[in-house]
Order: sequence, then C-alpha cells, then structure tokens
Amino acid sequence: MSVKKIAIAGNPNVGKSVLFNALTKQYVAVSNYPGTTVEVSRGRMNLEGEEYEVIDTPGMYSLYSITEEERVARRILINERPDIVIHVLDAKNLERMLLLTLQLIEADLNVILVLNIMDEAVKEGISIDASGLEKELKIPVVETVATAGKGIDELKKKIGGYGKKRL
Amino acid sequence: MEKRDYKGPIENSIEMAIEKIENLLKSDYYLSGRSIAILLLQEDEEIRNLVKEKDVANFDRIEDIIKDTKLHYANPISYELAIERQDEVKDILGRYVKFEKDRISPQEKLSRALMNPLFGIPALLLVLYLGLYKFVGQFGAETVVNFLESSIFDKYVTPFSTVLAARIIPWIALQDLFIGEYGIVTMAFRYAFAIILPITAVFFLFFSLLEDSGYLPRLAMLIDRTFKKIGLSGRAVIPMVLGFGCATMATMVTRILPTKRERIIATLLLALAVPCSAQLGVIMALLQHNPKALLVWAGVILFIFLLVGYLTSKILPGERPSFYMEIPPLRIPSLSNVMIKTYVRVKWYFLEIMPLFLWASVLIWIGRLTRVFDLLINLLKGPVSAIGLPPEASKAFLFGFFRRDYGAAGLYDLNAHNKLDGVQLAVACVALTLFLPCIAQFLMNIKERGWKTGLGISVFILVFSFSVAYALNIILRSLVVVL
Repeated sequence: MSVKKIAIAGNPNVGKSVLFNALTKQYVAVSNYPGTTVEVSRGRMNLEGEEYEVIDTPGMYSLYSITEEERVARRILINERPDIVIHVLDAKNLERMLLLTLQLIEADLNVILVLNIMDEAVKEGISIDASGLEKELKIPVVETVATAGKGIDELKKKIGGYGKKRL
Repeated sequence: MEKRDYKGPIENSIEMAIEKIENLLKSDYYLSGRSIAILLLQEDEEIRNLVKEKDVANFDRIEDIIKDTKLHYANPISYELAIERQDEVKDILGRYVKFEKDRISPQEKLSRALMNPLFGIPALLLVLYLGLYKFVGQFGAETVVNFLESSIFDKYVTPFSTVLAARIIPWIALQDLFIGEYGIVTMAFRYAFAIILPITAVFFLFFSLLEDSGYLPRLAMLIDRTFKKIGLSGRAVIPMVLGFGCATMATMVTRILPTKRERIIATLLLALAVPCSAQLGVIMALLQHNPKALLVWAGVILFIFLLVGYLTSKILPGERPSFYMEIPPLRIPSLSNVMIKTYVRVKWYFLEIMPLFLWASVLIWIGRLTRVFDLLINLLKGPVSAIGLPPEASKAFLFGFFRRDYGAAGLYDLNAHNKLDGVQLAVACVALTLFLPCIAQFLMNIKERGWKTGLGISVFILVFSFSVAYALNIILRSLVVVL
C-alpha cells in the first residue's frame, strides 16, 4: 500500500509549522520547491500502522494566488495530490481565514479544519460551536492549541477516520 | 464522511459561466472543475497556462466565455466573487461563533477607539494638527525652508552663480535661462533643493511613521462611511493622505482602488481639492497670520471636496464601493525602518520631479522670450480681476500650472508687498488650491485615466475653480466680512 499524503495549508502565522512538528516526529526534510526560493518541509508520520507523508505548505490567503508562496502552496495541492488537506487557521481571525476553507472544500479536497490558538481565542471571549461548524461545512473540525500539544490526539483520530472511510 | 455538496451562492451569470467552463474542462487537475473554472474567471495566469496546456481543444471556447462574462460586470470578477464569499463567511460566523464584548486588551481598546467617530475624529484632527500643520507645515515648510533659502541660497548659491553666469554667458537673454527670475539656478534649483526637498522629506517622515504605527488602516475604517457618500471607500484613504504630500504620486497610487469609478473620483478630487505639501507649505505661510482667512480657506476646500465627491458619485454609473481590509496590530514604529522608507521615497520622488522642474524653467524662459506668456497672462487677467484679485495675480496662476507651488509662491510675493487684503488672500488661496493641477499631475491624469477623462477633468477644474472663487468673493464682500 502506498504512502498517503497530507498537506498542511493556511494563512501565514497560524501555527502550521508547530502543528507539522507535532505530527511528524521523524524524517523531516527541508528543501526549496523546484524552481522557486520557497522552502517546503516534508516529514513522515505513522498512525495506527498507516504511513503518511506530511507536507508543510507555504502560507496562503486564498486559492487565487498573488505571491510566490501562494503559488507554491497551490502547486503542491495540484501536483502532489494530497489525500488529506489540513487547513489550519487562527481561531481569533475566523472571519478572514474561513474563506480559504470554503475554497478548499469547493476544490473537492478532503479537508480537515483545525481551529488553532484556541486558548487566545477563549481569552478574547470568542466561543465557537465546532460541531455546528462540522455539520454546516460537512468536514471534520478540530480545536487545538498546537504550542501546548492540545487537540493533537483528536486531530490524529480524525485523520485516521478519514483514512478508513474515504481513501 | 459523505460526499460534500457545498456550493457558495453565486450570482447567475458568473455561476452560469462557471458551469459552462466546468463542462469544457476534460483533464484531471486534482482540484475540482468548479474550482479551476473560478480561478480561470479570476484570470489567474498560472491556471490559465495549465489549462491551455492540458485542455487544448476547448481552450479558445473557455476564453470566449471568460471574455463574455467580464463584459457583464462593472467590477473585476475576482472582486465580485470576494464580496459574495465574504457574505457567506459572515453568515456562517453569525450562526456558529459568539464574541463576548468584555475582556479587551488596552491595545485593542485604543484600536477600537481610533475607529469610533467619537474618539477617532478628535484623534484624527490632533494627528493632522501635529503632523501636517505643526511638523510638515511649520517645521518643514517654514523653519527648514527659511534656513535653506536665506542662509544657503540667497547668501551663497544665487550671488555666486549670478557672477559666474555673467562672466561665462555673453547674451543677456541666455543668462536669463540660468539666473533670471525663473531661471534654472534661481528658480528650478532653488525650488527643488530649498523648498520641495525639505518639505517632502518631512512629509514622508510623517507618512512613514503613520504607516508603520498601523494608524492608516484604522483611519480607513473610520472614514469609510463618509467616503462611501462621495463614491469612495476607506481604501482611498492612502492615496488621499499621500495627496497631501504629492498629488501626482497619489494619482499613481489610485491604482490600488478596485473599480474604475473609484479611480476616476479619486483622481478628480486629488486634482481639485487636495493641496500638495509644497502648496500647503506656502499657503500656510501666507495665511498663518490670518487665522480667520485660514479657516475660510479650509472650510471652503473641505466643502468642495465633499460636494464634488458627492455629485460625482451621483453622476457616474456603478455600484457603491464596498470595503474589507485586514487590520494589522498597533505598534511603535521602528526608527530604522522609518528612516529607510523615508530615504527611499524622497530619493525616488526627487529623481522623478527634478527633470520636470528643469523643463518648467526652460518652458517659462521660452514662453517669456516669445511673449506667449504675456499673451496668456493678459488672457487670465479677465477672470483674475473678476474674482477680485489684482491683475498681477494672473502671473501666479499661469506659473502655478508649471508647479502648483510656483503659483502659491507668486502670491506670497504679492502678499509680502502688501498688495492683498484678507478676503483677497482667502479667495486667491481657494482659487489656487482648486485651480488646474501642476503640469506633472496633468500628465499623470492623462497617463492613468486616458485622454478623454484626463482632459475632461482639467477643463472642468479650470472653469470650476474660478466659479467657486468668484462666488466666494461675492459672498464675502456682500456680507462685508473682514478677514
């Protein structure tokens, strides 16, 4: 059985790399994406006996790309054909980040939505109905605090669930 | 998980175009056909090349659909889609996310206060007073300019080059080109180095500080509602603030506005009612001992700005602009960053402007030598007298076209010789602020907006500025106002 691919996507500065490090404990390689100066990290993850390759994509605001980073992130989605796309966003800034979630869903990708930095969101008095959002968008939604390792196990469970049901 | 069927509510004809394109896409792009179709409609170059390569047979038909769809929308399709999407996101957030109003950090409190009219407008006035009036107007345009003009140019540069030119150049007429009243050394260099350079340097310093502190996006939010009434959105705050530095540069920056309609309104307002820093400096110097006249001038200009904006937005077809902006955090600007930005901007601006100054000197020299200017000055004497100014002022208006500040400086000379009373001063400053932009801005208007619109704006301004000044003069005189 071939190795499944997971791409981590999202705006810059939402904790993509922290989440990447939390998921991949082994075989991390950093290299320039071919033909660009943009760095892309790849790592391996083993989940319930299943092998995954995890790709940390450069920051993107939208599928409609303007910067070189965004173009590389989109090329990864098109060329690497990831089985799962984890969209990480800053729970404090849902308003400007949820746009990309909608675009990824529209692109027919298998999206898992990660609401990261939940601790700060709670401090600012923001409460999110994650299961309501899950039903509305029809994709798995996980709340995390990646820097403290919170929610990572649940994320792994959702990844595993995706692996069994859909792929 | 079941197969998702999420599709955004998208307006009919874009939606139809998406479906048509989707059906023409036969290759596998990994992203859904719908997604690729939307990217194509947004004219994404990379995706276009990809489709051109993979779906050769249908590519021309796809391009036709895109061209056809674009014709049906006043705004770019990416803009239309972004608006739809934003509504969709807001709708979802409204149902699944709750925001508590308490627990706000002090920084967030300041940020919100700046966007709230009750605190934000006094704060804006304070920023304008300290930044534009005190720092740019008084410190830059007076203290520094006076020092450079009287201690450097009048003492050393002008006498030295006068002697030098008299020795080297045997013909008086040619001497005039360099050291005459409007010569290259006496006017172009003096204006460029002793007036424009210090004023723009101080202005750009102020602008970079504002920019790096995160104040501008908050100002944009604050004045968004007012700006919408005049057909602009908060986004236009950046070209408008820049206009106080150099309206020519600001006209170039109107490119950041999303619709053609907004760009035309912004260009017109910049040309008509936004005084640039050079002009502002001289006007401040003219009016500083006459606060009542200053108030009349500022009131009239602000009124004209809002009135013309309002009327233009009623006349020009198109949708009301909408506006969405990322608000970065408020922070203390880093000094080195501000210095570098200021330096780069001043250098760029100076290199752009210096040749125009030289040309202005040469043109004025030719104009005077061939007596074309005398003719034009005589022609202008009629309207100038009609607005209650001495005929000598017509010279200031003609030269004002070559650089708006030349004109303002011409008035300064008249005022220094006590030839103008308070009402005349206010009327002259209003007319000169509204009057045709400088030749650089005139060329920029044509370059950015095209011949028809660029010329149209100029003709409108020519007629309008004198009409307003005429009306103002009659009103002030009949009310027997003494300024």
